[in-house]
Amino acid sequence: MRINQRKLRSYKEFLLVLPFLVVVAIFSYFPLYGWIYAFHDYRPPFPITNETFVGLKWFETIINNPVRTADILRVLRNTFAMSGISLAFSWFPMVFAVFLNEIKCHPYKKFVQTVTTLPNFISWVLVYSIAFNIFSSTGAVNVVLQNLGWIDKPIAFLKSSDHVWFTQWLWLTWKNAGWAAIMYLAAITGIDEEMMEAARVDGASRMQIIWHITIPSILPTYFVIVMLNLANFLSNGMEQYYVFQNAFNMDYIEVLDLYVYNMATSSTGAYPLSTAISILKSVVSVILLVVSNTASKLIRGEGFI
Amino acid sequence: MKRFLALLLTLSMVLSMGLSTAMAEEKELLTIDIYDDAANYHGVQTGWFAKVVKDRFNLELNIIAPQVAGSAVYATRAEDGHLGDIVILDKSRFQDSLAAGLVKDISAELVNCENIMQYKVQLDSFNQGLGKAEGVYYGIPSEMADTSPVTLTEEEIYSSPMLRWDQYTGVGRPEMADLDGLLDTLKLIHEKYPTNEAGDPAYPLSLWPDWDGNDNMIGIANVVQLTTWYGEKIKGSAILKPDYTFTEIYDKNASYYKMAKFLYKANQMGLVDPDSGTQDWNAVCAKMSNGQVNLLWYSWSLGFWNSQERLDNGTAFIYIPVKDQNYYADADAFFGTSRVFGVGSKVEGEKYERIMEFLDWYASPEGMTFQHSGIEGLNYIVENDKFVPYKDNALMDNLPVPDEFGGGGYQDGNNAINQWIGNALNTNPATGEGYAMKHWSSYKAKNMTQMKKEWQEHFGATDAVDYMKKNGVLMASPNVSVALATDTNDIAMKRVDVNKVLCQYTWQMIFAESEEEFDLLWDKMVEKMDGFGYKDLYAFDCANYQTEVDAKQAAADAIK
Repeated sequence: MRINQRKLRSYKEFLLVLPFLVVVAIFSYFPLYGWIYAFHDYRPPFPITNETFVGLKWFETIINNPVRTADILRVLRNTFAMSGISLAFSWFPMVFAVFLNEIKCHPYKKFVQTVTTLPNFISWVLVYSIAFNIFSSTGAVNVVLQNLGWIDKPIAFLKSSDHVWFTQWLWLTWKNAGWAAIMYLAAITGIDEEMMEAARVDGASRMQIIWHITIPSILPTYFVIVMLNLANFLSNGMEQYYVFQNAFNMDYIEVLDLYVYNMATSSTGAYPLSTAISILKSVVSVILLVVSNTASKLIRGEGFI
Repeated sequence: MKRFLALLLTLSMVLSMGLSTAMAEEKELLTIDIYDDAANYHGVQTGWFAKVVKDRFNLELNIIAPQVAGSAVYATRAEDGHLGDIVILDKSRFQDSLAAGLVKDISAELVNCENIMQYKVQLDSFNQGLGKAEGVYYGIPSEMADTSPVTLTEEEIYSSPMLRWDQYTGVGRPEMADLDGLLDTLKLIHEKYPTNEAGDPAYPLSLWPDWDGNDNMIGIANVVQLTTWYGEKIKGSAILKPDYTFTEIYDKNASYYKMAKFLYKANQMGLVDPDSGTQDWNAVCAKMSNGQVNLLWYSWSLGFWNSQERLDNGTAFIYIPVKDQNYYADADAFFGTSRVFGVGSKVEGEKYERIMEFLDWYASPEGMTFQHSGIEGLNYIVENDKFVPYKDNALMDNLPVPDEFGGGGYQDGNNAINQWIGNALNTNPATGEGYAMKHWSSYKAKNMTQMKKEWQEHFGATDAVDYMKKNGVLMASPNVSVALATDTNDIAMKRVDVNKVLCQYTWQMIFAESEEEFDLLWDKMVEKMDGFGYKDLYAFDCANYQTEVDAKQAAADAIK
């Protein structure tokens, strides 16, 4: 009798989970069916049939042509560099949150938080038009510099191919830092107030409290976020780079996602090759995830999957 | 009293219901899907054109626009087996869709469409070009002209150097022997007019990158277009020379190199807007309208500046000849432009009949008048059986439409199909003049301004095309009807890569620091293009476009 009840309960619970399983199946697993296009000579409007099957042809074209291989290596270099920079500076939102938390004037704190969070809701297209208005040859910066007499010819900021990776990181941080800090602010409110008070009674300075209590307390949150980002190492998004790309910075700004996009959406549309490249991307991402999970198990004693 | 009112209301409701059902019995409201490669609007047609169609056919037009919804809509709808009830496709896509069984054989119905059948020569030519027997029709070419494949009716050609008459006069109307002469003149203009009237910096050339690789031509859109100044025309990845032979796009003796060098020199002289390369078309469009650009080379870009007022006071743009140039221009689109109308293969029965009825009206004088001339009493009025421009800013300023046409803004309700069966230059039987305003005698009389008279006196010709014809510097390329093959995946891949390299390096060359750097970049570009398989792409394009060239040559020989 009891077993039956338990069984019944497990069915009920399964039904509760079912909708989510269905959603995952539809939106995460069903699209994998699209991988089939990487193994066919697919060209709309003709449907794929047995005759169009070409096996690994498109994967081979990636390796066969040295110029293309060099091109993909260049794109991978950019992807790793920009993701690497983001990763190396991933502590920035955390530190920002810690300092934000230290602001005692409440309205000012709210103001700073709102102003830094807001850019997150602006689309990249608009960010570029803002950038264009500020940094074009007749933009605010050039006008100010010219009026001050520091330069006599406008500087072409957006056309510059110098420090592309770093300036792109700056734009990303401008847009995301405030938003990313919210997670840490939540973690900070979770810290036991008694610990802080005890430290204060013991005569700890502000910096000492931050260093010995606040940061160690939010470090687990930090690690989880870093590892989640690691899995996305190769997919650092394309919108940002798409709007900022031009013929002059192309060699440095083109990341994998943008490369695939540029290839698939050109007027002629090389669907199979771009599918093949994105399959490779997924494979590498899975490898990165497994590696970071293993590393986490070794270092922290527990994985996150 | 209340009861009486209620009764009256009920009565009127019953009556109106009866009336509307009576109308519906005649013809039910039907929504037809139009898959439209030309449309810039996605959704159901609204406004005055919707009312015009609904009043006549009780049809609603649902427009599916891949230019808005993304090109993937083509792939997904093709997979579904039904692109649309009416399809408007690029010629090569039309050919593919026909092979994939997505387009209907309309021979039986089409012969009853007397307006469309006026273009029988063109219909036969196109459909037989698809390998169909005589009398079998699948596609209706778009914008077919009623002149001839070798006539050039327009007064100006698609691309030629155009300067502001006041500025050209202001620097002493120097005669220009070649591109260097043009640069010298531009330099004088730039020195004399460094800003527009409002004080914003102006440049002779303002370029934009977002059209690169479009219109079946690889390379920078701005350079590609300028090659026609020297009689050459880019076909895919090849350059078609005046003698009807092809050469590689990176041939140093051909016009792509010449025009890239021209822009490089212009930049060295400080004549190129430093934001070229990072700004988009919208930014340039605003600059053109603000008078921040001193040289135009697309005939349609005149629309952003030349108004009646500016034509009157002589500040409008107009063609200024450069002596060594020999212009390539396409003749009237007798056989139609690049797109084709068809009917979806799944359309049957009453819907099919009504669609054919609509298409025939679309090609009729009434339909053409709505499309090309506009609304009587708004865009034009009729005087002595001729059209006279009335409110010619209706489109530009989105003027309100008369209530009998459903109100709303003129532009908002404008025909969103954006593609026509008959050409705007065709003769309207009601007036004996072309449908489009620029062909009306009333309009021409109005445009005979002081500036135009000065121009005519100075150059000894009535208009740009007349000047070119008189001096033997116009090569009107005959219009032919050829459907080209679409790219295989191998070719598509090469085209993407080669185009990317070509555009990227050309931009860098225009802004190069020195001649050495320019040539260094050029050599590097050629090497990289070859690495991506340019030679195969070139061979494919030459073979593909040779059929078109043969047809052009045959047409040219025929008139000799």
